[in-house]
Amino acid sequence: MGIFVFLPLVLPLTAWPIARLAEQRLHPRTATVLLTSVSTVMALCSTVCLALLMVVGTAQLPGNPLPDGWSDPEVRESVPRHEIAGKAAIPALLAVVAAGCRTLTRHVRVRRRAHRALAGLPRTEVAVLPDPVPYAYALPGGRRERVVVSTGMLGALASRERRALFAHERAHLAARHHRHLLLVQLAACANPFLLPLRTAVAYAAERWADEDAARAVGSRRAVAHAIGRAALASARPAPAPTLPALAAPGPLPRRVAALLGPAPAARAWPSLFTAAGLAVWTAATGAALSAMFSANSALTLLFLLRTAAPL
Amino acid sequence: MLGALHEAGGPVTAGWVRDHLAAGLAYTTVMTVLGRLLAKNAVTRRREGRSFVWLPAADEAGLAALKMRRVLDGEQDRRAVLASFITALPEGDERLLRELLESGDG
Repeated sequence: MGIFVFLPLVLPLTAWPIARLAEQRLHPRTATVLLTSVSTVMALCSTVCLALLMVVGTAQLPGNPLPDGWSDPEVRESVPRHEIAGKAAIPALLAVVAAGCRTLTRHVRVRRRAHRALAGLPRTEVAVLPDPVPYAYALPGGRRERVVVSTGMLGALASRERRALFAHERAHLAARHHRHLLLVQLAACANPFLLPLRTAVAYAAERWADEDAARAVGSRRAVAHAIGRAALASARPAPAPTLPALAAPGPLPRRVAALLGPAPAARAWPSLFTAAGLAVWTAATGAALSAMFSANSALTLLFLLRTAAPL
Repeated sequence: MLGALHEAGGPVTAGWVRDHLAAGLAYTTVMTVLGRLLAKNAVTRRREGRSFVWLPAADEAGLAALKMRRVLDGEQDRRAVLASFITALPEGDERLLRELLESGDG
């Protein structure tokens, strides 16, 4: 396996350039799908490699339940610095599994509790709840999926903006954005280097829904105004004094600015000879290398263990 | 009949509604009217044991809103699960947003 078993742990860094450039240079749909795929592949590979390292590390611990042959010197020598790397991999993998389980259970719990809260209402596509606090959510759930919106939110918007709001939430449901979001969250649990991709996908999915909503209501400006009005209606005093001069604009002004600007080009891929094109290829190559190295390491370890401890 | 349901302050059975109406209607009449109100979405019902309990629809929506608020407030990172139309707006962003919308109008 050699050094190759460590590479998938750091190869997510190759996706950082595209995570940064995607917002400006890729169509939101392309960005969401691409970054989710890259992030899922890299997370899987990184976890496989962590598991391989853990096998090597666990085999050295006294009293482990693995076959004795697995702590064979030849197996150990297959990983550089095996005494440190192997043992570090054990808590790392446990942390990954725990974080992943926590994310998954939270996802399931929020969805189930939200559906239960709405259980008594008529089965309409949109559930309007009498609540002065403005909010609007797309609640996924197969046939039970619906848009949840508070009267506070509806009151803040004009009728055209309401249509934009509903179109936005329906776009989330139709494109199954919750799956993308869940995948990148799990990926970020598996490898913290994938965190920028999670942020980028969360933003790109909102932009995707914005663009779909703009097409549905036939006006990008109406969507921009809906976002702006809704945001200003729910703005509460900032909890702590910030330094606005230093802070980069948050996602909401960026979404509004993007909608007031020209529509993103529908062309799927940027040319290779641009910064974005180069970044896309870097990330794709990183994902491919991750897959290759982790598969190679897994096979190597399998053969080593076979020869060390014939079954 | 809606008045009686509102007075009840909670889900009640059709029998309870009949007993609390001054008109002295037959049980089947109460059921018929409740059925019509259900068709108009003015009331909702749910199964409790072997019979239905009835609620004015407005109460049901208010109840759902309370429960939903509990879900939303209870989960610190709810955005991770439910794609929200808008997120929290820091002060600097608020100013920026106003400027953007005003320039968009101009």
